[in-house]
Amino acid sequence: MKMVKSKNMLMYLVKRVLIMVVMIFFVLVATFFLTNLMEVNPVLNKMSSDPRVPWEIYLEERERIGVDKPIFERFLIYMTNFFQGNWGRSYIVADGVPVTTLIAQIFPPTIELVLIPIILIPILSVKLGIASAKHRNKWQDSIIRGVIMLGVCVPIFFLATLIQFFASNILNVYTYGVIDFETSSANSINIDYINRLTGFRLIDAFLFNDQALLQDSLLHILLPSIASIVVSLASITRQTRASMLDVMRMDYVRTARAKGVAEKDVINKHALRNALIPTSNEIVGLVASLLIGSLFTEMIFNYKGMGWYLFAAIQGGDYVVIMGLIIVDSIIILSGTLVADVLYTVIDPRIVY
Amino acid sequence: MVGMLFGIVSFVVVAFLLLLFVISWVQSDPQRVQFVRLYFNKENIIRAVKFLIVPGWRDQKFSQKEYEIEKTKSKRKFFRRLLKPLTLIGIGLIFYIIFLAIYAPWIAIYPLEVVTNVAQAIDYGLPYTLPSPLHPWGTTRFAYDLYSRIIWGARTIISFGFLTIIFASVGGIIVGTISGYYGGKVDAIIMRIVDFSLAFPTLVVIIIFTEMISRDLITILLVFGMFAIPGYSRLMRASVLATKQRLYIEAAKTSGAGNFKIMFKHIFSNAISPIIIRFFGGVGAAILGFAGIAFLGFGDASFPDWGTDINYGRGHISMIHTTFFPGIFILIAVLGFMLFGDGLRDALDPRLKAMSK
Repeated sequence: MKMVKSKNMLMYLVKRVLIMVVMIFFVLVATFFLTNLMEVNPVLNKMSSDPRVPWEIYLEERERIGVDKPIFERFLIYMTNFFQGNWGRSYIVADGVPVTTLIAQIFPPTIELVLIPIILIPILSVKLGIASAKHRNKWQDSIIRGVIMLGVCVPIFFLATLIQFFASNILNVYTYGVIDFETSSANSINIDYINRLTGFRLIDAFLFNDQALLQDSLLHILLPSIASIVVSLASITRQTRASMLDVMRMDYVRTARAKGVAEKDVINKHALRNALIPTSNEIVGLVASLLIGSLFTEMIFNYKGMGWYLFAAIQGGDYVVIMGLIIVDSIIILSGTLVADVLYTVIDPRIVY
Repeated sequence: MVGMLFGIVSFVVVAFLLLLFVISWVQSDPQRVQFVRLYFNKENIIRAVKFLIVPGWRDQKFSQKEYEIEKTKSKRKFFRRLLKPLTLIGIGLIFYIIFLAIYAPWIAIYPLEVVTNVAQAIDYGLPYTLPSPLHPWGTTRFAYDLYSRIIWGARTIISFGFLTIIFASVGGIIVGTISGYYGGKVDAIIMRIVDFSLAFPTLVVIIIFTEMISRDLITILLVFGMFAIPGYSRLMRASVLATKQRLYIEAAKTSGAGNFKIMFKHIFSNAISPIIIRFFGGVGAAILGFAGIAFLGFGDASFPDWGTDINYGRGHISMIHTTFFPGIFILIAVLGFMLFGDGLRDALDPRLKAMSK
């Protein structure tokens, strides 16, 4: 019996991965035409700093990067190069750096940025959801739901700006605008990030025993993490509360209570384990949505991760960077849904595909 | 025999005398006459007799009245469920924003042209100033008066939120009903397209789309609505799939109703409730998303709106009021719609109703 199930599971996985590959191909095509039909002129954007550039040089530059070719020819060139592993070179955001290298450089900072939220949000929100379900329709429940509601409704860019203002102008901890360790702390003037081995600043700091770097990276991560935690608490908390309320009405919970099991054990062992099944789905979705990088937090805190570069690329018209980043984003999103579905069967053996 | 006759006759006589007595008693007072004419008329007597004799007979008028009473009762129950304190706060906030939108010309200090046109605004003050009597909440970029700009911005926000979600839900209803009703290949194709659109990072694609077409408000509205359609069509599809199994759909099919009529008369009216439940929450989310797009600098600068105001205030931390006031107003608007949407969901959702019992 178990054998049959795992075989089905394997078939299901293969099918899903194949669908995913096809979908990513379509995303690639759609993104190519979307970005290349944008009304942005990258060459002009790059040269606008110097108005004395002659027209011939402008045309030459256009020819050099190949923007003057017809769109279908560009599409063919891009596709052939894409599948050979050459995703193009960045034109504006990082001058001349290959897109794959750029993504390899900027993905680790984004992962570091969401490290604290990914660990804290599930813990916090499941606890809040349990508390809210336990004290249903009492003042604790109202307070939790009110705070969650505020978190849903507050725009993250507004919250991040307020946090920045609070830390810089009221607490006087950080300097204004960019949180810059070099200017806010005197003993780190000679900090420069040379020991680049993994690309993760935190891991490198541990590997090379560089405490200044560790402190610097943690300080950069702190404020954006607070903002994204407050904003993304809601969905998991609501899901936990709803499924806890569903489960608490079940017969086996009543049986456990009638048997005389302590209330703590009823909630943590009997109710919570069943209530967490739909919540796990939400958690995986949250991780995927955090990993693609938030445009808003990274822009406001000037944190150079995926979101910041994506925004800069859209503004400047750096087509290949936009395409590369969107492909990576959609791979993350799609594999997130895939992992969520597979995890569902692992957690809940009743579900069979 | 004689005794029995005597008894009957005496009973009739006594009854006649009693009747005479009652009639005379009634006629002695005009109010009593009116009362008797009102209640002991022919109609009522016939109805009473029918009620006593005909088994299972119900008066049509009376049952209609009963039905109306029950209806008002359930309406009252619905309102009692709906009008919780939080929902009331939400309704209050929505009305506040709508009030600002409607009476903007009276509330705002400066006319619309002055807060959107750079050439006119520069006559009235300097950019980025602290609050002063001339500008109660200070000025933002291009010397726009922040107070008037926020008041005028309520119009943009309200119309954007409602129009986007109306567009998205109409699209979602059509797509979801067709895909749920026909099933099979149509359903599979539509659901693939929906999955495909969910594979993108939505915000980025909306921005790229608006960059591609043009940056005016209508384009942003349509693109935003278009990307909200998949969610609504999924919702509608699930609801249609549940409704399709009902007996009355079978009955409509057997009596020869066409596909279109079944879809948009029978199924539509019975399956639409999840869309209505999501409507106000969707408006809140649309306002939030629109503010986000405008904050990134991809909004329509020819209309005053709060996201653009926050974008103007970005980087001017010492002039925090240029960020604070528009942000608070976005919070108020979104909070109003979300609270009202939540209250509506709690009042309408049968699953939650069963849970609260």
